Amino acid sequence: MIAENTQTQMRKGILEYCVLLIISRGEIYASDIIAELKSAKLLVVEGTLYPLLTRLKNNGLLSYNWVESTSGPPRKYYVLTEDGRGMVKQLDTTWQELSYAIETSKQTNK
Amino acid sequence: MKRTLNINIGNSLIHIEEDAYELLTGYLNEIKAHFAKSADDFEIVTDIENRIAEMFREILTTQQKAAINTNDVQTIIAQMGTVRDFQSSEEEEENAFVPPYSAGIKRLYRDTEQGMVAGVCAGLGHYLNIEDRWIRLFALLSVLVGGAGILAYFVMWIIVPRAQTRSEKMYMKGEAINLQGFIRNFQDEMENNQLIKRSGTFITEFLDVLGKFISGTGKTIFKFVAGTIILMSGIMLLGLIVVLAVFLGVWDAGANEIFPLSMVDQAYQSTLLFAAFIFFAVPLLALLLFSARVAFSSRPVNKAVSFSLLIVWLLGTATGIFYIAKVTADFKEEAEFTQTSPLKPYATYTLVLDKSRFFSKEDSVRYQINSDSYRGRIIVDHNDGPFQRPVDVRIRIERSMDGKFAVVQNFSAHGKSFDIALKNAQSIHYDFLQQDSVLNFSPKLYLTKNNYWRNQEVNVTVKVPVGTKLILNKDLDRYLEDYRSWNCDQEGEDNRDFAEWVMTEDGLKCQKEINGEHH
Repeated sequence: MIAENTQTQMRKGILEYCVLLIISRGEIYASDIIAELKSAKLLVVEGTLYPLLTRLKNNGLLSYNWVESTSGPPRKYYVLTEDGRGMVKQLDTTWQELSYAIETSKQTNK
Repeated sequence: MKRTLNINIGNSLIHIEEDAYELLTGYLNEIKAHFAKSADDFEIVTDIENRIAEMFREILTTQQKAAINTNDVQTIIAQMGTVRDFQSSEEEEENAFVPPYSAGIKRLYRDTEQGMVAGVCAGLGHYLNIEDRWIRLFALLSVLVGGAGILAYFVMWIIVPRAQTRSEKMYMKGEAINLQGFIRNFQDEMENNQLIKRSGTFITEFLDVLGKFISGTGKTIFKFVAGTIILMSGIMLLGLIVVLAVFLGVWDAGANEIFPLSMVDQAYQSTLLFAAFIFFAVPLLALLLFSARVAFSSRPVNKAVSFSLLIVWLLGTATGIFYIAKVTADFKEEAEFTQTSPLKPYATYTLVLDKSRFFSKEDSVRYQINSDSYRGRIIVDHNDGPFQRPVDVRIRIERSMDGKFAVVQNFSAHGKSFDIALKNAQSIHYDFLQQDSVLNFSPKLYLTKNNYWRNQEVNVTVKVPVGTKLILNKDLDRYLEDYRSWNCDQEGEDNRDFAEWVMTEDGLKCQKEINGEHH
């Protein structure tokens, strides 16, 4: 239970970072984000993505454009805002720090 | 076979099966309840709906399906995740999910899946949380008490709706209308592998029940009834053939005096008889064939046979109607004439009914013409029989105004025209004869040959002055108007054949009455 909780916390933060990374590569549709996350084996259920995207958008890190689709109604394509890019850079730094911390911790453990 | 619905989800029109729709609705309601805290959450729900719509479209196109079913919805729910999955990945741990519907809401429905007849008792059982058997027992007892249970049952059958959809069934059982409830209910159903009874309105359900009854015990009764019908119509058909033969024979014998036949011209008697035969026989035959077919499901009656039967019947009926109209037209006009003849005066007259044939000279001549059987069988026999003509002889006794003794015979008849009516009236032969003080009345009139019954009537009026004594044979009673001789019976003398009357200023009075006045 405690382990589960920690895993959840870790995954939550990393999920947010990954989503921003995926979007930072260019304009992308929500389903494609999901597909990428799935191939990365990070996403458990799709439903969790939408609240995340909405929160990121509301925080000004993302914006989206409506793009016409050939098969169905228009789709939301997400892009990073300037703030978003800044955020990604910050997170990159954070991630390096964290991975260093973990690597270091593991080595000392050994 | 399942009902499908069209839903508009995420701006797409999706065909979805009814139970799948219920599952989806439950899922979306839960999601909406979960994301119902801020305006942004509306956007989340919209995004999720759009994604679901997209997945539906994919399923429909890739699997070449016409409609989304429950499996598809479950696949999507697994992919999208339930509210519980969202909770664990969200920050606000304190916002634990509260089910939007409490598990306690119950509604009254009829449970046709567990019901014995229409599911009223089973539905009540769910609603009251009592085992249905107790409710059934109670219902049966109420029938014994006064039968109100049956009425109540039928009323509830009509008023209480049947639990048709999954959510209705869940309301009936008081299960929570949310995703867990849906899935549990769905799985229960899969495990039990219950056959969902096909039924619609009250009427179709009723017919369904009736149909079961008929196909079961009812079938034997039905066959028995059909067999009886076949037997009866067969016998009646045979009877009709016999009657036809008898009538043809009787008519052939020239028995024109027999009442209903005597109306019809000889020229079309046989035709009319055959028409009548067809009118009765063809429907009987059709009934027989139809019953045989229905009861024993032998090969259906040939269409050609049915049609020719119908045509024969129509022809026969039309012919019959034509001749009946023709005969009826012969009754259009009426004519009458009166013949007054004086009576030899006597102080006392005896009026008798001359049952035996009275042969006058002209009678003798007349009977030479007719066959012997005519006389022997029909005419002398004057009992009331089935072929008795309506009363066509009426005798009245009146006070003579001018003091003379007379008898007035009034002959009347109907006909196509006045001439013919008069001729018909003239064809009447009525025997009345005075033999000294005895007045002989014939019980009936006779028609000279080849004259048909056209409502010929004779009114015989005997006119006698005041003070004349009349001794009336009781046989005359049925021909007399206004007088009934048994009124004049003296006590203890019931069996007398004659009654004594006296003509007074006030009309005919009993001798007994006059005696009574004197004393």
